[in-house]
Amino acid sequence: MQSTISATTTKKPARNVNDAFASHFAKSMFLTVAGIAILVFIGTRMFTHIDLNLYGYMVGTIVFLGGFFYRFIAWGERPPTKIMIKKGLKLLFRKSTPKTAVNHLAIYDFIRNRGLYRWVQHILIGWGCVLACLVTFPLVFSWMYFTMEENGYYTIVLFGMNVMKVPAEGIIAFFSYNALNIAAIMVTAGVCMALRRRLKNMQARAEQKFMYDFLPLYLLLIISVTGLLLTVQNVFLHGWMQPQMSLIHQFSVIVTLIYLPFGKLAHIPFRPMSIFARNYREHYGEQEMKKCKVCGDHFVSVEQSNDVIQVLSTNEMEFNMKDGFNLAELCLPCRRKYRIARFSGFATHQVKVKEANQNARG
Amino acid sequence: MKKRLYLELENCIGCRSCLAACTQCGGHEQRNRNYVYDVNPLVNRQTMPLMCLHCVNPACARSCPAQAIQIHETGAVLSALVEKCIGCQNCTIACPYGIPKFDTEQNLMYKCDLCIDRSKDGIPPMCASVCPSNTLQWLTDEEIEAKQKHFTLDNGKWVTSMPYLEGDTNVKVNLPGILQGVTKLF
Ligand code: HEM
Ligand code: SF4
Ligand code: SF4
Repeated sequence: MQSTISATTTKKPARNVNDAFASHFAKSMFLTVAGIAILVFIGTRMFTHIDLNLYGYMVGTIVFLGGFFYRFIAWGERPPTKIMIKKGLKLLFRKSTPKTAVNHLAIYDFIRNRGLYRWVQHILIGWGCVLACLVTFPLVFSWMYFTMEENGYYTIVLFGMNVMKVPAEGIIAFFSYNALNIAAIMVTAGVCMALRRRLKNMQARAEQKFMYDFLPLYLLLIISVTGLLLTVQNVFLHGWMQPQMSLIHQFSVIVTLIYLPFGKLAHIPFRPMSIFARNYREHYGEQEMKKCKVCGDHFVSVEQSNDVIQVLSTNEMEFNMKDGFNLAELCLPCRRKYRIARFSGFATHQVKVKEANQNARG
Repeated sequence: MKKRLYLELENCIGCRSCLAACTQCGGHEQRNRNYVYDVNPLVNRQTMPLMCLHCVNPACARSCPAQAIQIHETGAVLSALVEKCIGCQNCTIACPYGIPKFDTEQNLMYKCDLCIDRSKDGIPPMCASVCPSNTLQWLTDEEIEAKQKHFTLDNGKWVTSMPYLEGDTNVKVNLPGILQGVTKLF
C-alpha cells in the first residue's frame, strides 16, 4: 500500500499530464522570477540600493519558488482540486468573501473552536511569521529601505518612493527596527506552545511524525532564536560572533523555505482554498439543494453531488445502485442504512425511523 | 504479524461498547466515529455495527481537493489532517458508506483512523478491544482463512466483497450465519 495518494490520480495517460506539467512549471517559474526582477529593479532605483548581505535569501527564495510550483501544479492537476480552483475563482467576488477571508485566514475562528490553546498558539506562530515576512522580503529584494538624509530622521523608502519621514527615536521607528524581534518572540512562544502540546497531549501524540510535525517546529524555533541572538549580540556584545550567527540564521531560513512546499508548512500557501470551498458550498447551496433519494432531506447542493460523482468517475468509481440511485444522492444516514440493508437483506433504509443513539450516551 | 479488523455482523448485541470505546482513543477528542444500526427497528432487536472499511481505493481520499486524507502504510485511511482540510465535505458525499463526519464549527472532517496509534503497533483498535460479542475481531489473515474453512461456504460468498460492498476493503466483513442460512436475524 502506498503511503499517500499521489498527484497522478487522473485517468489521462501519465505522459500527457507530465507534458502539461513541465510547461506549466516553466511558465510559472519564468513569470514569477521575471516579476521579482522587475520589482527589484524598480525598488532599488535601478539596482543602486542592493543589500548584498541578504544575497542568501534571494537564492533561497528562488529555490523555494521551484519547489512551490512543482508541488502546487501537481496538486492543481488532481480532478477534485481542479474543480474547486475553477469554481472557486469564478465565485471569488461574492459579497461574503471578505468576511470569510478574514475569518479563515486572519483570525482563524475555526481553530478557536478546536480549543483556545491551539488558537493562541497559531495566532502567535502565524502572525509572527507574517510580520517577519512583511519586513524581511521587502528588505531582501530592496523594495523597502531606510535612509537618513537629515540628522535624527529616517526616511522610509518603498518601491523607490519616499513614503514618510520618522524621528529616529520615535515610536514608529522603534517598532520598525524591533518588528523582527517582536515577530521572533511571538514565533518562539507559539512554537513552544505547539511543542508542549505535541509532547503532553495524548490527542496530538497519537498521529504525529518527526518529519511532518516536529521538523517545521524546530526550524521555526531555530530561525527565531538565532534571530533574537543576533539582536542580543548587537546590543549587548558589540557584535561578537555576529557574522557566524548571521550565517546560521540565513541557513535555517533557506532550509525552511525549501522544506515549506513539501511538509506541514505547505498549508500556508494552500489555505486560501478554504475560502473557495466555503463560497462553493454557499453559492451552490443557495441555487439548488439535492433531495435525498430515500428520505427527501436536503443534504448537499446539486452541484456538489454531481461534481463528486464526476470526480469519482475519473477514478473509475461508479456507485450507481440497482435500486435506481447513485450513492452520492443519498443523505448520510440513509446511505449508512442502505449498507445495512445490503448486508442484512432487509430494507433498513425504507423504515421511517430516525437513526437512534449513535453516540453511546445511553 | 499483520492483523486486520474483521466483522461478523450478525453477532452484534447492540451494546454500543464500540461507540463508547471509540471516544476514548487518543486523537479522537471524546467523539466516536463509528455507528450501530437497528436492522428492523420496529420489529426486532437485531443490530449491526458500521464503520469505515478502509477501502483499498478510498473514494473519500480520491475526492479530497486538499489531499487531507492520507493512507497509512498499514492500509488504514486516516482522518483529515487538521491543517489541510478546507472543509468542502466532498469526502462525506463520496464515501459509499456515509462514514466521514464533519464538524462545521471546527471546519474539519473526522473519521475512523483504525486507532492508528494502536493498530500501527499491532494493538487492536479500541472497538475490537472491547466488543463483548465477537462482532469486531482483530485477526491475522491465516485466522480469517481458518474461519473460512470452518464455515464451509463457497468462496464467492464468504468474506463479503462484491456484491455487498463497492470495492476491495482492508477491513473484512462477514455474516456467515446469514449467508449459510443457519442464523436468522432476531
Ligand atoms: C493562511 C493562513 C493560515 C491558515 C488558515 C492556517 C491554518 C492552520 C490550521 C487549521 C492548523 C491546524 C491547527 C490545529 O488544529 O491545531 C495549522 C497549524 C500550523 N500552522 Fe498554520 N495556517 C496559516 C498560516 C500559517 C503561517 C503563516 C504559519 C507560519 C509558519 C503557520 C504555521 C503553522 C504551524 C507550525 C502549525 C502546526 C502547529 C502544531 O504543530 O500543532 N501557519 N495552521
Ligand atoms: S469506507 Fe468511506 S471513509 Fe472509509 S476509506 Fe472507504 S471511502 Fe473512505
Ligand atoms: S472536507 Fe476536508 S477531508 Fe473532506 S474532502 Fe474536503 S478538504 Fe478533504
